[in-house]
Amino acid sequence: MNDTLSPFKEIAASNQWSAILPEISLGVLALALLVLEILFPRHRRKLIPGVAIFGQLLVLFWLLLFYRDGGGFLGQETFAGMLFHDELGQAMRVFFLLTSLLVGYLGTITLAGKPLPKVEFYHITLVVTAALMLLAQSNHFVMFFISLETVTVGFYVLVSYFRHQSISLEAGLKYLILSGVSSAILLFGIALLYGIGGSPLLAGASDDAMNFGALNAFLKNHPENGLALIGMVMVIAGVAFKIAAFPFQIWVPDVYQGASTPVTAFLAVGSKAAGFAVLLTLVLKVFQPMEAVLVPVLTVLATLTILFGNIAALTQRNTKRLMGLSGVAHAGYLLVGVIASLYVPWAQGAVLFYLFVYLLASFAVFGVMAHLSPEDGTGDELEDYLNLARDRPFLAVVLVIGLGSLAGIPPLAGFIGKVLIFIAAFQAGLYWLLGVSIFGVVLSIYYYFGWIKTAVFREWKVAPDDEDEQEAPRREHREIAPLARLILGGLAVATVVLGFFQGPLSDWLGRL
Amino acid sequence: MNIGIVDFLVASALLFAIGFFGVLLRRNTLVVYMCLELMLNAVNLALVAFSRFNGTMDGNIFVFFIITVAAAEVAVGLAIIVTLFRRRETVQLPDLNLLRH
Repeated sequence: MNDTLSPFKEIAASNQWSAILPEISLGVLALALLVLEILFPRHRRKLIPGVAIFGQLLVLFWLLLFYRDGGGFLGQETFAGMLFHDELGQAMRVFFLLTSLLVGYLGTITLAGKPLPKVEFYHITLVVTAALMLLAQSNHFVMFFISLETVTVGFYVLVSYFRHQSISLEAGLKYLILSGVSSAILLFGIALLYGIGGSPLLAGASDDAMNFGALNAFLKNHPENGLALIGMVMVIAGVAFKIAAFPFQIWVPDVYQGASTPVTAFLAVGSKAAGFAVLLTLVLKVFQPMEAVLVPVLTVLATLTILFGNIAALTQRNTKRLMGLSGVAHAGYLLVGVIASLYVPWAQGAVLFYLFVYLLASFAVFGVMAHLSPEDGTGDELEDYLNLARDRPFLAVVLVIGLGSLAGIPPLAGFIGKVLIFIAAFQAGLYWLLGVSIFGVVLSIYYYFGWIKTAVFREWKVAPDDEDEQEAPRREHREIAPLARLILGGLAVATVVLGFFQGPLSDWLGRL
Repeated sequence: MNIGIVDFLVASALLFAIGFFGVLLRRNTLVVYMCLELMLNAVNLALVAFSRFNGTMDGNIFVFFIITVAAAEVAVGLAIIVTLFRRRETVQLPDLNLLRH
């Protein structure tokens, strides 16, 4: 009797709930928001977004100060091998909390004065953030799929959240269909890997073929199995949809344009970073034995992604589409870092550093966007940024720093991020990808600086008759709240400081 | 006649292909949505067949998770489609073309 029960006892002993306390606290906070909406009288409900943001700040400080060792579970598997806690997961927890905080802040700007439910926005953001954290730590394909789908279904709702606008609903529908296809492809890949990895006909088959470690051990013995290779490519394709790599980037421009600014920022930063955390885990810990096929596939993917993203962004006039397509190009550089991490271990830290820098710069730009066009679907064109420096100098400075960092101009942080990835690629001997990346960066300067030029330099026109009438009309003056100055200014200052002084962040990431 | 793992896999791959090309080629949003479900069910068939063949229960259990997730997706997806229909009075994909640069 004891023998039959002992496996269950082992599984029960591995359910260490304190290992996922950050995720649990976010989930509890999300539920508490819904309860508060019922309990609070109507005039107090305005406080609920504040509760959400304050709660997340508490979790963030607790995570940074008292939970740095992951509650003592670093380097361990919990929940019968479903989760594996490592420094990568720990860094991504902080990353997603920061993302979620900034998304919540942008949400307060964009949702103000709209006839929409507000509490649910924060609720879904919190649930998605918790799922993103679990996704970055998953160690088993079932856990991987469930957390991925929690994220995706949450994003369906968020993208089509502004349901009084057809454009938002249409973006939601497009995201729904394309994301559904990518999930199905991913699942078929998982099914094939499970079937091969546990097949009794092959030597070294595993009982637990969906576990990353067990699958890796199996693939070491059979690195050239045809069906397993197909499965691997299909899983990579599913992840490539999340990071918006070519040819799975077709949803990006439309969905970014249709979604409201906070959601676009969440997709651009959170969803993409989750894709890369998962890709790092999959490439380094699962598919590494299949290097012979994996590296060429990823190389082609990275090359096409960099070229397509940059070339398609050249002609864009809509700023959200521009951010989307330039984000595709950034995914390409990050892919180069992922490939390099197969040969140079510290490249993993370079990818994470790039992600943090990308977070700061992107939210600076999206913050400016949210302040300029609180009404969605308008004010996103490049022409709307004319004379920004004259009318709203503070926003223009933040925009220039954000875009400069994205373009990789020294001495901003984006430059250091790119240099680290390029050095890693050089050390790994990826000369072809290095050349393509540098070509892409040169191209990207054209469109980033086109935007900066529009915003900063006074528009000159050939004056036909009266000079005074040529002056473009001034924007109506809107006060920027002190809090907004603090947050946007903080993002800009962090971007500049990280360009000169990378010590603390790289020390922290260097321990990975 | 003996039905083996290969037959199940071929059937599953065919179902998956029908669903995939349905998503690419059909114009009606609801039909596209059904094709998405068809792809998920093709995966379910493959998982159950593999699970039986390998003699492990993981695949069977995963199928339950997939069914649950698919139900959640349908709940959200149909809500989006219905809301979109109320605003635009069409569910044909070629008519949904507001997002163009």
